[in-house]
Amino acid sequence: MSSILPTRLGEDPLAITTRSLNKRYGKIAALIDVDLQVPEGAVYVLVGPNGAGKTTLLKILLDLVRADSGEAEVFGLSSRSDGPAVRARIGYVPEGAGWGYGWMRVGRVLEHHSTYYPTWDTEYAERLANAFDLGMDQKVGKLSKGEARRVHLVMALAHRPPVLLLDEPTDGLDPVMRDETLGLLADHLAETGATMLISTHLVHETERLADHIGVIRGGELQAQLNVDDLRRGLRRYRAEVPTGWTGSPTLNGSVLRRQNASNEIQWTIWGDEGDVLAQLKGSGATVREAAAVSLEDAALAMLSRKE
Amino acid sequence: MLISISASDARPIYVQIMDEVRRARVLGTIEPDDPLPSVRQLATELRVNPNTVQQAYRELEREGIVFVRRGQGTFIADSSVNGAQRRLLARGVAERALVDAHRNGVGLDELIAMLHEVAAGQSPPTTNPEKPI
Repeated sequence: MSSILPTRLGEDPLAITTRSLNKRYGKIAALIDVDLQVPEGAVYVLVGPNGAGKTTLLKILLDLVRADSGEAEVFGLSSRSDGPAVRARIGYVPEGAGWGYGWMRVGRVLEHHSTYYPTWDTEYAERLANAFDLGMDQKVGKLSKGEARRVHLVMALAHRPPVLLLDEPTDGLDPVMRDETLGLLADHLAETGATMLISTHLVHETERLADHIGVIRGGELQAQLNVDDLRRGLRRYRAEVPTGWTGSPTLNGSVLRRQNASNEIQWTIWGDEGDVLAQLKGSGATVREAAAVSLEDAALAMLSRKE
Repeated sequence: MLISISASDARPIYVQIMDEVRRARVLGTIEPDDPLPSVRQLATELRVNPNTVQQAYRELEREGIVFVRRGQGTFIADSSVNGAQRRLLARGVAERALVDAHRNGVGLDELIAMLHEVAAGQSPPTTNPEKPI
């Protein structure tokens, strides 16, 4: 399958790397030759529909799931052979709640979790729990989805790990808590400079934080690039066209999304704006607008592209 | 000072932050030697990547609008208000109006004439009319 957008970053140094990662569940291919590249200090948003392989990828990095083939590394340490060392460097917010000890109270869970991390900052944990409006006496088994997510966020952040793997971190949060979470993540970034890999299907929420984006679909990483490059290279062109207009042969391979009416088009195209404008003009189109595309719309254009 | 950005704005976020500082300076809501919020403070407040704030501050420093006092933060420079800043702000407004006009097939002369006509009937122009065009 061809990819219109770049899938390799060429940036150094990398905090997270995978090479030709493959994973099957029976007949279903969860990951196909995935080469993930997350630069140090990046906020990398991994976008894809449900079931695209996002959670599997995060779990392989933590060695909670083993790949069939390929390599996964965090700061040069192999997830597979240095699992404990890798996990010690990671703060993880898992997809589901899945407490194995529902009878424990929030305070006790945090205390228990803290003993695994020498860098645990009790004061910071309390500040986070306060901001998240968490009661220490609540039983974790009785927490709502959103409350459980907030407990996991405290557990992930309070030891200030160099890497955060956040699987749908705002899932189940109400609008106020979602906003609060984004603020705390921005504050955490400013303070620690941590590398964040955020898996989500709600791109607009993390749009202001993200500096890298990866698009995964059907287990394949179909795009991976710096958000600045995406912003520069992807435009939505709106133009009047003559009847029967079919584009230009040199341009058509770079079109991510086509919306056509009889004499007007709105195409999302990857390429240098000057080149694209010249080609559209050369083929008889009158361009009215070449608009920058939001991360949300860019992800939508990439994900809705017909194979 | 108040710095406000919008997700639906076509300008990149760092440019929006720069324009907000310029706007505050031109309107006189901030004075030379006034401090800007710290990078961490503003990033947290706006829910944006701290590197984006850093980029805006770096560009503002390069343009001489702000200066950095080591260990103390970023401050508005003496030379920060002048014709050049006003021109830059006005230029941005004009560019956005032109893009909108071109998208709608409105020519330059038509736009200028209409600006005069609309301004004559609306004072001050603080809200976009809600009636259909």
